[in-house]
Amino acid sequence: MRSRPTDRARRDFLKSLSAAATATLALPQPRLLADAVIEHPGATADAIIVLWMAGGMAAPDNLDPKKYKPFEKGLAVADCISTFPAIPTAIDGVQVCAGLEGIASVLDRGTLIRSHVQPDLGSILHSRHQYHWHTGYVPPQTVACPHIGAWMARVLGPRNPTMPAFINIGQRLEGIGENEEIKAFTTPGFFGSEFGPMNLPFPEEAALAVRPPKGMEPGRFADRYQHFKKLVAANPSREFTSDYHQESMLRSLDNAHRLLSAKERAAFDIALEPKEVVEQYDTGRFGRGCLLARRLVENGARYVEVTTEYIPFVHWDTHERGHETVDRMHKEIDRPIATLIRDLEARGLLDRTLVVIASEFSRDMITEGRPGSKATDQASSPKDFLLEPNHYGQHRHFTGGSTVALFGGGVKKGFVYGKTADERPCLAIENPVTITDLHATLFTAMGMSPKTVFDIEGRPFYATEDGKGRAVEAIFGA
Amino acid sequence: MTSLWYSGRICRSLCSWWPILLLAALPARAVDFSHEVVPILRAKCGKCHTGSQRQGGFSLNDREAILAGGDSGTPGLVAGDAAGSELIRRITSTDPDLRMPSEGEALPAEAVAILTRWVDAKAPWEDGFSFAGNTYEAPLALRPVTLPAPSNGRLHPVDRIVDAYQRAKGVPTPPRCDDATFLRRVSLDLVGLLPSPAAVDAFCADADPGKRQKKIKELLDDDLARAEHWMTFWNDLLRNDYTGTGFITGGRKQITPWLHRALVDNIPYDRFVRELVAPTDASRGFIDGIVWRGEVNSSQTQPIQFAQNVGQTFLGINLKCASCHDSFVDRWKLQETYDLAAVMAPDTLELFRCDKATGTFASPGWPFKELGAIDGAKPPAERLEQLARLMTDPGNGWLSRNLVNRIWAKLMGRGLVHPVDSLRTRPWNEDLLDSLAADFVASGYDTKHVLETICTSEAYGAMTPSVEGHPDGKDYVFHGPLPRRMTAEQFTDALWQLTGAAPAKPDADVQRVKPDPAAPRPLPPRAKWIWNNQAAASPPGERLTFRARINLLDPVTHAVAVATADNEVTMWVNGTKVGHSADWGKPFVEPIGGALKRGSNEVLVVAANADAGGPAALKAEIRAILLGGGVTWIASDDSWEWTATLPDAEGKWPGGSEPSDWQKASVVENQGTWAPSDAAFADGVRGASGPQPMVRAVLVKCTPLMASLGRPNRDQVVTSRPTDLTTLEAIQLANEQALFETFSVGARRWLAEHGADPGALVPTIFKTALGRLPTPAEATAVREILGESPTESSVADCFWAVVMLPEFQLVR
Repeated sequence: MRSRPTDRARRDFLKSLSAAATATLALPQPRLLADAVIEHPGATADAIIVLWMAGGMAAPDNLDPKKYKPFEKGLAVADCISTFPAIPTAIDGVQVCAGLEGIASVLDRGTLIRSHVQPDLGSILHSRHQYHWHTGYVPPQTVACPHIGAWMARVLGPRNPTMPAFINIGQRLEGIGENEEIKAFTTPGFFGSEFGPMNLPFPEEAALAVRPPKGMEPGRFADRYQHFKKLVAANPSREFTSDYHQESMLRSLDNAHRLLSAKERAAFDIALEPKEVVEQYDTGRFGRGCLLARRLVENGARYVEVTTEYIPFVHWDTHERGHETVDRMHKEIDRPIATLIRDLEARGLLDRTLVVIASEFSRDMITEGRPGSKATDQASSPKDFLLEPNHYGQHRHFTGGSTVALFGGGVKKGFVYGKTADERPCLAIENPVTITDLHATLFTAMGMSPKTVFDIEGRPFYATEDGKGRAVEAIFGA
Repeated sequence: MTSLWYSGRICRSLCSWWPILLLAALPARAVDFSHEVVPILRAKCGKCHTGSQRQGGFSLNDREAILAGGDSGTPGLVAGDAAGSELIRRITSTDPDLRMPSEGEALPAEAVAILTRWVDAKAPWEDGFSFAGNTYEAPLALRPVTLPAPSNGRLHPVDRIVDAYQRAKGVPTPPRCDDATFLRRVSLDLVGLLPSPAAVDAFCADADPGKRQKKIKELLDDDLARAEHWMTFWNDLLRNDYTGTGFITGGRKQITPWLHRALVDNIPYDRFVRELVAPTDASRGFIDGIVWRGEVNSSQTQPIQFAQNVGQTFLGINLKCASCHDSFVDRWKLQETYDLAAVMAPDTLELFRCDKATGTFASPGWPFKELGAIDGAKPPAERLEQLARLMTDPGNGWLSRNLVNRIWAKLMGRGLVHPVDSLRTRPWNEDLLDSLAADFVASGYDTKHVLETICTSEAYGAMTPSVEGHPDGKDYVFHGPLPRRMTAEQFTDALWQLTGAAPAKPDADVQRVKPDPAAPRPLPPRAKWIWNNQAAASPPGERLTFRARINLLDPVTHAVAVATADNEVTMWVNGTKVGHSADWGKPFVEPIGGALKRGSNEVLVVAANADAGGPAALKAEIRAILLGGGVTWIASDDSWEWTATLPDAEGKWPGGSEPSDWQKASVVENQGTWAPSDAAFADGVRGASGPQPMVRAVLVKCTPLMASLGRPNRDQVVTSRPTDLTTLEAIQLANEQALFETFSVGARRWLAEHGADPGALVPTIFKTALGRLPTPAEATAVREILGESPTESSVADCFWAVVMLPEFQLVR
């Protein structure tokens, strides 16, 4: 274990708190517990990109290959765990599944945690697990829990004051199944909307989010604000200039218009990239999202999440034809992720940018689980034989062991931590890492104590559940 | 969570709190007890000597305890003599057996210096402060209050108390706000709407000295508007919504129709609470909470949610901490939470501490046993009845205090008790709280009466004080009502008032018009199914344009368009697209008041047959209410004309040349072919048959804009809304597409109603939005936006600029 510099940014942090205090003293909002003295670790990363494999990415068909058999009628499930053969990677002796050749080629830039575990929440609803993964708390809760992006926005603040600190790419919040459940964690929770996500469901339309509305040319937009400022200056209630509410409102409008007219606005426009760069990333919305994430981080975003998008029974939510679907998902994610890592590296950003690939849980083979059965039961279910290609794939939710990949941002290069069993159930059998500890690891890399605590409704509320998260120190270092 | 509550507080490293001390110690001045002394004592000594901890018999909880000293009998300190004080001797001792803290590093020199200066300054202590936490608790029953003598002829009971309070605090009595400000404030507060320009004029011109009281009464008697404004407050408190988590799996129920009716009828609050706590099917959504699929933490089971929500919403007590363990911040015990939960639980409840079974069991009960017990032998429904009766017993002062405090907070910007969910906090004036609560009980729990009492006081009608920093919690003194930010719903309603862009129908299942048997029955639809031939014969994919024209002699106050076609229909009115439907069973119903104008109007409809073929027909009707109350309509029949030429997607003719081959449409012979759509069509048309009250934001599902302006996701009980506009929200206000379009709709309507005349537009915009006329400087600024001849975009931008003013967005 390596020693970690402390308090590098302590002074800045205090300063940012007092600056933020003007905005956050608002009464019902939480405050740092007055008497909690939090020791923040020194950061190894300034920005984080979470690549979210929404819907349950099966470890055995992706980053943790096990024994493989191609489909044949009557295939015994007991004989086959992976539906893709293993291929070598840039780390000697470490394999991933065929289809992930790009990721395999950059694995020497990062660390695999092959022992990420989640609790079994019973009758599994994806969105509950996603809520847990994104907030660190199992829903329902008595208070609205903040997303980890909101925690970083609240505690670490923006890297560039013009850029929103927390940006969420690729997830629609309307018109998909379970959208209310997705909204429940895509939120600043009790921190209030200043720390909430800027949602950009379509990367190619992100530029619109920082542009005047459709139908309003930029000149008119700028004029409108100038006119507004004149009107404010003429407003007789300006005599109450000391009025806190009035000033804070005007300050926010000014901040908004600053972003909407700042050069950073261009960061949202992936059409400004050279054609060959776009082509390298563009395997679809997710690929374009990765490109957008790079541009945003380059311009000072703090927390960026890019999701393959959660829609029930679509994408990683494979309940049948799993092999076919995962084959398609490989094509969608592999090239952009590898490109993102190389691109960040080439721009000298990878050292201080942590890139994380994660999902709410893993999966196991066989057809959909029986109603009412638990995920752990499903994994040790009776042997089955596959008669149809539809059933070849990872269809059952499995919370006992999944893989998280981390690149850059101070993590070891070419390192594997933890291990799952080679036979069913493929449980994490070495160094299990819970969501709480994984979050502690991410927070620690970003220079934020997992014990950071706020007073909410008179109750201490911690960045990791009960302040118990412990960073996996073993993965940090050269 | 038990032990960590403390561990988070302990300072383990010198360097981490060094900067705090430096910052605090910079200016040489008297010691600041709260900010300098308390943090040191708490961080360095707290673990062993505060709260219930008194190692060596020594407690630092309050000044008396310190003076008393510990087991040794030596006083902890001698005020004014640091050198002779045990506390200072211990923290500076080099003897490891004596030195405090006994574990860890010695206190840094700066901390010792602060404590030394503090003791030398006679150890000042903040009144009421205790390391043991809050010990205040009002008696269960309301305290009898003797009103102070009135001063300056101010007889209102609230003013008698507030005036005496402000005199004692040396706070000047704030002057009355002007009439226009008052009217805007009281309208937004009581019914959530902007007053109309005519109402502002009438109110300001009224010479009656009792006009404020008269106006308050008038607003409160507008049952629908009052109910729908306060429904926002109650939806938050009762966690009621039309969409959200839980509905997907049937784990959650609405109480919408019940709540709406209860508020319109202003049912007595004791009955209101009884019907929620011991519910019927219509009102049981509140106590049932949200049942999540799968397993939940033992602090979130249905009975525990019940205990938390009933406690928080109706009694102002926070049982959330006490759902996992005895509360650290309040007096509530785990057992009390479980006992309350057990009232509704069908089975015996075992106590779980921090999610682990304890082997002890709950017996149905509630926190205030002085008023009576709950019979655990009875079935849950009867236990709930007992609980409801106990809660609403007039002897339970917490019920009435809680509600009057929440209402005061809404109207005045800050509660008498703050925060509102912790009724065990000392109010800034106990007499005021208890006298309002007693008055509420004496009125028969009439919520309208509470609103009237507070709003008729001079304290409410005063100017808002100018606030320098943010009004922080600690040393609050009442100077007058605070400005408050509009809720997302108030803001949206105000926009809809300004622009006429409110939706035609609410999403909430509510009965907005009391059935009036004496009212004339609305006229049935007049439209007929038409096509270009009586047989409705049509080749697959055929598309035809139909048109109708009407000359209106008066401006339109309200109009609705209803149309459907087999298989698809799009309608434009005077070049504005107003509706579309692609399902003949579901006619579109759209309010189009802004699109119709006095004079000649043209309605264009493109109707299309399916690619698969089959019969084709169109049915369309517009009902319009004219200024003066006349009703007119445009209904599809053989007076309509058709052409095979199609307009473009904007409703414009290709190349600008109107077709010349218009022919007479035919009424289709077999009108019964599409009978399944008749009922929906008739409903749409009937909805138009009288000016309906504007659909309110509270009645529609949360929009992205409302969500961003602070309308909460109602997974939990919500008791306050965000007070500050954030940057992300401001971005939305600057460029959200739906908002932009709302302003454009409004601009068109304003131009149609007032013409492109800045002289008419400028004062009307100000009157409508701000309830006042512009100053000359403002008029110049606004004219600059509008330009010489205002256009749709310049009027829309002018609206935007006015609406963005803090003066607009604040209730002040």
